Amino acid sequence: MRSSRKILILTIAVLLILVAAHSNNSAYLRADEIQPGFNQAIMQVRLAESAGATQSEITELLTTLNKALELNEQALKLTSPNDVQRRAELLTQVNVMLNDVQTRASALQTVASQRTRTNTVLAYVYGGLAAAVGTFAYAFLLAFYRRYRIKRTFQMKVTAK
Amino acid sequence: MSLISSQNKRTLIMVFITLLVVFEMIAYVATTPRPREQFFQLYVLGSKRMAADYYPNNDTDISRGETVSWYLGATNSMGNIQFAEVRVKLGNQTINPPNDQLALPSPAPLVTEFKRFTQDNETWEFPFVWRLTNVRFANNSAQILEFEINDETFQVVDCSARSGYNFRLIFELWTWDTGMGAFQFGWVTGGDHRVAWLQIWFNATQAR
Repeated sequence: MRSSRKILILTIAVLLILVAAHSNNSAYLRADEIQPGFNQAIMQVRLAESAGATQSEITELLTTLNKALELNEQALKLTSPNDVQRRAELLTQVNVMLNDVQTRASALQTVASQRTRTNTVLAYVYGGLAAAVGTFAYAFLLAFYRRYRIKRTFQMKVTAK
Repeated sequence: MSLISSQNKRTLIMVFITLLVVFEMIAYVATTPRPREQFFQLYVLGSKRMAADYYPNNDTDISRGETVSWYLGATNSMGNIQFAEVRVKLGNQTINPPNDQLALPSPAPLVTEFKRFTQDNETWEFPFVWRLTNVRFANNSAQILEFEINDETFQVVDCSARSGYNFRLIFELWTWDTGMGAFQFGWVTGGDHRVAWLQIWFNATQAR
């Protein structure tokens, strides 16, 4: 009876230690947390990028993202109870910036994909036009060459050997 | 009378088709993005931004308070934007370095980390100026307790070396995995997990 109580106490102690260790670990992860909005923002910027957004357009978004990251890191460093309000303000600012990036990236994706589609269609149309121009040039040169050959034939002098 | 004979018509149609195929192929190549190798580069340069002069007076013995100036850099050649992180760890001679084969990070204690969003083909370089601010020497062993990196102080947990020899700073490149919503050691390309890391050895000595 006494030994089973000991085992029970030991089991509870082990469980408590495990729970404490887990909560410490989670606290560490929370302290180092990246705002979930960053993940959405990265995905949205990548979509805009793959839709054909230019380097300079992406640079603008990245500048805002890096600024948001800086503020996020500043906020994570504010751990004292006196800084709670400042921390909340910074995190709100970060979220506003991330939302802004997502909105801009989404708009950029639409513009970039339209531009890419237009450019692709234009490239194929120009290909057809170039082929037509090339054919006309070929026909013109062929006709010119034939006229030249006829002219040269009529200019021939027949001499007796 | 027709201006162009039927034979010429056939020739012109053949020329047009040939040119059309050629120009449309050019248009296809011009508008289709080419697959390219995706990778990251990670480097550490010395105080003069060259692969030299890593230690003051070229002496690997670093005493407490002595400033060491390096430049850390990472180049993104992944083809898209990346959220990159360089983790700085403190190791000794016995602790395992990162494992390239299994893509496992080093279990050495983390000192600090640097994060940044980088664009394709962008090189992110920043100064890494450090000094040992608290080292405990006892029983023929040195334990680094505190670092100062870029004017910020960092505590180190449990890293000591016999006589202060063969400490090393390990730099690991981590990238953000959007699927997991977390940083991963290295990056994944074409189904392969690749890693990039560096280490620089030094000895911690008592003040000269």
